Amino acid sequence: MYVVTEKTRARGWARIFQQRSNQLYPYFLLAPALVLIGAVSLYPTLYSFYLALTSVRKGVMVFVGLDNFATILASRQFWHSLQLTLIFGAFYITLTMLISFILALIFNRGLSLGGLCMTLIFIPWVLSEITSGVMWRWMFYRDYGVLQRLIGPLFGNVTLIATPAGAMGVVTAASVWRSTAFTMLLLLAGLQTIPKEVYEAASIDGATKWQAFWKVTWPLLRPTTLVTVVFLSIQVVNAVGMFLAITEGGPGNATEVLPLHMYREAIQYFHFGYGAALSVIMFLINAVLAVVYIRALRSESVWS
Amino acid sequence: MMRRHWIMPALNILLLLIGLAFIFPVFYSVMTSLRAPGYGLSADIIPDSFYWGNYARLWSYGRFPRYILNSIIDALGGALLTCIAAAPAAYALARLHFKGRDPILWLILGMMMIPGLTNLIPLYKLASDLKLLSTYTIMILVFGAYGVPLGVWIMKGFFESIPRELEEAAAIDGATPFQTFLRIVVPISAPGLTATFLINFVYNWNNFITPLILISKTIMKTATVGLFDFQHALEGNQDELLAAACVVIMVPAIALFVTLRRYFLQGMIEGAVKG
Repeated sequence: MYVVTEKTRARGWARIFQQRSNQLYPYFLLAPALVLIGAVSLYPTLYSFYLALTSVRKGVMVFVGLDNFATILASRQFWHSLQLTLIFGAFYITLTMLISFILALIFNRGLSLGGLCMTLIFIPWVLSEITSGVMWRWMFYRDYGVLQRLIGPLFGNVTLIATPAGAMGVVTAASVWRSTAFTMLLLLAGLQTIPKEVYEAASIDGATKWQAFWKVTWPLLRPTTLVTVVFLSIQVVNAVGMFLAITEGGPGNATEVLPLHMYREAIQYFHFGYGAALSVIMFLINAVLAVVYIRALRSESVWS
Repeated sequence: MMRRHWIMPALNILLLLIGLAFIFPVFYSVMTSLRAPGYGLSADIIPDSFYWGNYARLWSYGRFPRYILNSIIDALGGALLTCIAAAPAAYALARLHFKGRDPILWLILGMMMIPGLTNLIPLYKLASDLKLLSTYTIMILVFGAYGVPLGVWIMKGFFESIPRELEEAAAIDGATPFQTFLRIVVPISAPGLTATFLINFVYNWNNFITPLILISKTIMKTATVGLFDFQHALEGNQDELLAAACVVIMVPAIALFVTLRRYFLQGMIEGAVKG
């Protein structure tokens, strides 16, 4: 520690005064983050809106207006992929929420094995989509797959992953498996913000546990639930890794969801304009969903 | 009250079974990786004898060691860049008053809403125009940027929990605001920085689709992209080798998570509760 003399103190204050008046200081601190985000996230996103209006003709990028969008809306593959995405999203979100919610309620009781079990359940979350995919394919491998042997007989012994519905089911299961822990943590954090007094008040008023759940826990958790659903729907729009690793869109194009369709068009066939137009459509779908959720969140918030 | 006697043990056992079911695929891969060459997939889960040679075979298979090195460089570089960019930004947003504070905060957090995939197509085009495809530079920049929103969120929470008196004392001692930030605030926020670094390192290490799109040169591929190639080459004929590759990729992430679980969960709850 150095001794603060009157002189250094005065100098210090002068310097602070100078720095305080230096209004650029906050922006100086923010600059690295903003430059990085601007270059890697914001600019490319805006650029994709421009790319969506272009097409490569004879090796040259030309402006084509809304042609790409017209092509997309007239394409059967697009509607097929959109339908698949909605089916996948509905099952994935519902199942993840249901399982996570039950787990969160169990964890919220503060069990003695809670810490250990939390670690186990979180392990899928720290695995890559590709490792997960490789492992899930094994479990449904024809003849040998552990789960194929277990579940296959229920569906007439077909190789599940080779059927359209089965392939979608396997990817959905694998995605739910990977997302459950994080979703559960979000819900658990929400559950823990509900003050104990609210339950005490409910029980004094003569509410049963069942009533307390529906009248207290459920409405108070609604904001958290909505945030979680937004998070999961972003996962749906990003769901390409698991599909690539498990089905590559097959059998045929039975699991070629919109993100995978976009990946194929843009990266494999170099149709940047078309792919960018698809990404704009997905971005808009997501934005609309986000707005809907936020509206719902605001109007139903119990605290307000 | 009678119900209490059995309900807790029953829930504990149920939860443990669920937990074990969740890690079954990992266990199955480890077991598969311990089978002799040519005996990859089997209906039996546990092999009769353990064969450890697949890990040695993997070392000389394809460019696997190089893929691992690439993954380390990209993931480490990205996570460091995230910390360097996110910490000062979070500090400014947590402590300082300036014009445009709220819009900037929403802009940064709003980036979490942009799906990574829709962003990758223009990014591929831009990187290709700038001749940055298949380089460490692009991977580190992209990973670094991807981590910023979550990093800012986590760090902002930590900075807000530090008592202001510490910074005021440092200022009285004559430290400039930036010195105060570097010498006082950052060291105290080590848990927050660690959480930011760890979560992003693991996210980057596991990221599959970003390097798949931004890297085409074999020598620059990450382990996850390499594994995708291996899957095509080995599944159904050398599953034991494929399983060994899976295990090598999984182990660092699982080990980090299990040993430093506190940081991971704290960091995520920090983001979740306020999010």
